[in-house]
Amino acid sequence: MDDADDLEQRDPGLAMERTSLAWTRTAISFAALGGAVLKVSVAPGLVILLIAPFVWRLGRLRKGGPVRLWLITVSIVGVSLLALLVALIGHGAALRP
Amino acid sequence: MPSSWDWITPGGAARVGEEGTEPDPRFTFANERTFLAWSRTALALVVAGLGIVQLLPPFPGVPFGRHLLGVPLIVLGAVLAVVAYAEWIRNQRALRLSRPLPHSVLPWLLAVMITGMAVISAIVLLLSATR
Repeated sequence: MDDADDLEQRDPGLAMERTSLAWTRTAISFAALGGAVLKVSVAPGLVILLIAPFVWRLGRLRKGGPVRLWLITVSIVGVSLLALLVALIGHGAALRP
Repeated sequence: MPSSWDWITPGGAARVGEEGTEPDPRFTFANERTFLAWSRTALALVVAGLGIVQLLPPFPGVPFGRHLLGVPLIVLGAVLAVVAYAEWIRNQRALRLSRPLPHSVLPWLLAVMITGMAVISAIVLLLSATR
């Protein structure tokens, strides 16, 4: 049996399902962060909220693995910059009546 | 062999999948899940930082107290995401080349971050209480 046959014999079991759920949790995390930012600043909050479905969709794609993860990293760095902007120029304690 | 900073571009990231041989898919999935877990941790740090700046009342006597606690958390969230990606690349490369997995710096980095933030929080709270 050569390497290619051996590779096809390997059963990933439920690893793919667990990974898909991890992608879904990550998309929900983006949505939660977007919702929190939305309460403070509308435009950055909407941008972060819109990233969530893209993250979920990326998790469904099985091709382009490294680039998908690169996109997630770039998204988090971008979201951090937006959050930094909101933190520095937003009004403190904005949710208090 | 890609250069040490090649991974920072999407083209360099794509080339990781061309080295060596395809590893057991379970290991690839596990590596991906680990990266995603660190990404969620990074997002949690960003949320925590933003929450501190926007939700906490000001500390009496420490005018920039909230920013002193919140801004580093947001920056550390971004740093954690980039390091998590670099570690994913290193692990995937090791898997593809059948080499031992490299030592992860992320748990150490997170522990240092949390300890540092705890110390800064204690100092801010003490300064606030004594004024």
